[in-house]
Amino acid sequence: MHDILLAVQEAGELKDGLSSIGAGIAYGAAAIGPGIGIGIVVGNAITAMARQPEMSGPIRTTMFLGIAFTEALALFGFVLFFLAKG
Amino acid sequence: MNVVFAALLVSENANDGVKASNPILPETTEIVWSVVAFVLVFAVLAWKAWPAISKSLSDREAKIRADLDAAEGARVEAESSLETYKQQLADARGDAGRIIDEARQAADDVRRELIARAEADAADLRTRAQEDIRQATERAMVDLQARLADLSIELAQRIVERNLDRDTQIALIESYINEVASTQK
Amino acid sequence: MLLAAFEFPHIDELFRWKGLFFGDTAYEINKTSLLVLISSVMILLIFVGGSRRMRLIPTKLQSILEMTFEFIDHGITRDVVGKDAGRFTPFLGSLFLFILFLNFWEIVPFIQFPPTARFAIPLYLALQTYFIYWYLGFRHNGYRYLTGHLFPAGVPKALYILVTPIELVQIVIVRPFSLAVRLLANMMAGHILLTALALLTAYALENAPIIAIGPFLLNVGVTGFELLVGFLQAYIFTLLTAVYIADSIHPDH
Repeated sequence: MHDILLAVQEAGELKDGLSSIGAGIAYGAAAIGPGIGIGIVVGNAITAMARQPEMSGPIRTTMFLGIAFTEALALFGFVLFFLAKG
Repeated sequence: MNVVFAALLVSENANDGVKASNPILPETTEIVWSVVAFVLVFAVLAWKAWPAISKSLSDREAKIRADLDAAEGARVEAESSLETYKQQLADARGDAGRIIDEARQAADDVRRELIARAEADAADLRTRAQEDIRQATERAMVDLQARLADLSIELAQRIVERNLDRDTQIALIESYINEVASTQK
Repeated sequence: MLLAAFEFPHIDELFRWKGLFFGDTAYEINKTSLLVLISSVMILLIFVGGSRRMRLIPTKLQSILEMTFEFIDHGITRDVVGKDAGRFTPFLGSLFLFILFLNFWEIVPFIQFPPTARFAIPLYLALQTYFIYWYLGFRHNGYRYLTGHLFPAGVPKALYILVTPIELVQIVIVRPFSLAVRLLANMMAGHILLTALALLTAYALENAPIIAIGPFLLNVGVTGFELLVGFLQAYIFTLLTAVYIADSIHPDH
């Protein structure tokens, strides 16, 4: 009886541990794409600003919008991390 | 107060243990109060703050625009009055030139007139003097002739007195009387 | 490893708070709700008090209020929604200030908790934006608002099989959800990061004081960074709301 209880408890712990690992991997994977994406967005925005400094204002606004949309994916991953970890 | 402060710092789980629900799921009470808070902020700001700030900005814009317009108007006015002054100055300068010319002209006329009159006077004087001289000369000549005649006669008398005797004199007188008598016939 | 024994507290301890007043009802006030209410009172005091007597030559407070107004009115409303969209400034301005003040609680000493890191507030604000842009879309463009989005012009008919479901999911789910999650996750991550660094500093101070300087300096730097993030997230939330509203009013642009 005691052994069975112990096994159930271990199974539960195993499930917790695995879900934590899964959540961690999910977040890490979710951060890769947006990381690259934000780099591209900001890099191109800087190039544009350097070429046409007089257009800096609209470019900056658009850059923030682009960052926001790209970043959303990483943040979905972040939230998913908490949901999966439970 | 300390209780509130402590409760602010101590989270729920420190006392109650792990709750079943997930930490990112919303709580009803928080939604209720955030709706209340946001609606309050929006309503009061839209009622009191934003119109006042907007009005202040547009008032200032209007004021600055009016000031600029007024300054522009003043500048135009100043330019036009400067133009007027310049015009007037040029006019005055022309007038002054004209007046000086006229004065010079008048002075010239006066001088010429004076000279003419002086010359005329001088000529007048001269002719009168010449006339006087001529008259005086004439008179002197007449006088001189008379005196010369007198003197000649006197001289002749003296010479004759001394040289002619009585007979001759009488003869002469006789001849003279005859001559006169013959011319009077 | 000196720090091997360091144990991070359970995530609930960072975000869930005991009720303070009206316990166990729908009107229960906990730390989050209290901070939200305090923030709104502060905003009202500053803005209503400051705009009570406006002068032609502004005081410092009046200048700040006017700069905030100009920032919203020119930088967001007129630039994004349209030149004649001044009627949205009160809503967007209130939204910006509300989120900004809530975000800044993250770095206020002894409070150090952004209420926007609780899903309730971003969710409410995002749903509010969601309903506003749906309402505006249908009011200004009728049913064409929906069809214009689902069947964009210039796309080959065959592609509608692909485009339409994506667009549908985009405007029905992804937009509000990403709006809410962006704010939530940024503030949550910042709060976790600051907490972790603070706890690490305290733990290192007890066990190996020399190492404590590392996490401490990092903590100071991250606090400054969070100031920027708090502002940026408020700006982005407002900006995206403006973009969605603009999209509802003039869907062709």
